[in-house]
Amino acid sequence: MSIIDETYRVAWGDLEYMKGNLVEVFLSSLIGPLLYLLAFGFGVGGSMEDPASYVMYIVPGIIALTTLSATFSTVSMKVLVQRLFYMSFDELLLCPIHISAIILGKTVQGMVRALISCTILLVVGWLLSPRVIISPWIFLVIIVGSLMFSLLGLMAGIMTNKTQNLSLFSSIAIVPMTFLCGTLFDVNILPDYVAFVIYALPLTHVSNLMRGIMLPDYAVGLDSIVIVVLYIAVMFAICYYMIKNNKC
Amino acid sequence: MGNIVEVRDLVVKFGDFAAVDGISFDVKEGEIFGFLGPNGAGKTTSIRTITTIQKMDSGSVSIDGHDIRTEFLEARKLIGIAQQHISLDKDLTVRQNLKHHAILHKVPKKEMDRVIKETADILELEEFMDHKVMDLSGGWKRKASIVAAIIHEPKILLLDEPTAGLDTRSRHMLWDLVRQLNSRGTTIFLTTHYIEEAETLCDRVAIINHGKLVAVGTVEELRDRIGRVCVEISDDVRRRKRYFGSMAEAKAYSAELGEAMFNIRRTSLEDVFLELTGESGGKLQ
Repeated sequence: MSIIDETYRVAWGDLEYMKGNLVEVFLSSLIGPLLYLLAFGFGVGGSMEDPASYVMYIVPGIIALTTLSATFSTVSMKVLVQRLFYMSFDELLLCPIHISAIILGKTVQGMVRALISCTILLVVGWLLSPRVIISPWIFLVIIVGSLMFSLLGLMAGIMTNKTQNLSLFSSIAIVPMTFLCGTLFDVNILPDYVAFVIYALPLTHVSNLMRGIMLPDYAVGLDSIVIVVLYIAVMFAICYYMIKNNKC
Repeated sequence: MGNIVEVRDLVVKFGDFAAVDGISFDVKEGEIFGFLGPNGAGKTTSIRTITTIQKMDSGSVSIDGHDIRTEFLEARKLIGIAQQHISLDKDLTVRQNLKHHAILHKVPKKEMDRVIKETADILELEEFMDHKVMDLSGGWKRKASIVAAIIHEPKILLLDEPTAGLDTRSRHMLWDLVRQLNSRGTTIFLTTHYIEEAETLCDRVAIINHGKLVAVGTVEELRDRIGRVCVEISDDVRRRKRYFGSMAEAKAYSAELGEAMFNIRRTSLEDVFLELTGESGGKLQ
């Protein structure tokens, strides 16, 4: 209970900021995924033999993608600014708060943002493609996925000392994940060696899990669950080490 | 009074450079302790280490008996710090920042609004409570950061260059606040560039230079280190100073100066500071 209470204490400031900037926060996290849905669903999908199937295929992928897009840049940039420019990250290190709560607290903003954005996309997706299966498990995947990508954002925000480096990280890690991790097409059509690299990336598994729940012809893979949990554990441990050893 | 801070053989390195190089000192409970030193002497690194933000390479620091390496959460409950830089979230209002500090320091919910109001009133912040921090002038940001540091009524308040950038009125207001907090039992640990500030406020002073402690004591004790009476001799080219243990010695010396312009006065803390850190490069140590 103490960790949950302390997590809320840490998150309070970021949530206050979000409350005061709701429109900007949600527009910025929704416009991208909605455009993907329109451009790929109706643009690319429209030229296919069965556009409805393609729209149905990409709805879970785009929701998975939103767990990344709504979290990573928000958390990483916020932490970077609070560390290097506002210096307010120091205040967290001066409080009688456990390191685990600092880590989880800084992910809350990303998770809330992802949860709301993904829910809106879920409604839009269901309206466009009513055959998708709506299940409470979807929300568990959204929470777990957004926790993972918020931790990635926190890690990047802690380890980076220049905004340019954050942009570089985004270009070499986030943008490729956005397009290649099976959100918009089946990775099995790629050459084996590329598919292997993509299999190792976390978004692939959030996408697989989401599809396993939402589409009737897909199954939830145990390997995806294990890989996501491993990613969360490793990123949490890295953040813990960095904060504990004052390397942030 | 016991010691609230005990620093022993503290070493903090950045690569091969020792920013703090084996310093030891105590801060007594209830005192106002000044920490002086030129730019880059190691003041901020020391204060960041004492407050657990900066990792130490060796040595030990304890706050009210709590070793900061093993009992850092206990130690943090007792500490309030206003850092040299303004460490508030500039996207939030002053009120939101103060509330967040109160929440982080576990101020009971039912007391929170009263504590925030009372603390903000001390530095006349009420007019700016709903302004975003980024919209405030430097002086008001500084005041807000000090109020944030005392919102949880810490046992020891560390102020790192608290009056930097404040106008004279605000500086005096802050000095009054420091005295007021101290009179209520809060120990104050103050770093400053303003020697006058240390001389006016501090019960004891430590002087740090190149990461090493060159002197610790009351202002009177430090004066005794170089001589209580200063003879300042001016000619067309430069100004020299000689220090003596008594007025009689100073007068005897000045009688031999002939037609040179001179001034006999009480040795100031600034004289001590310059002797120990600058002009004589710490040779008096």
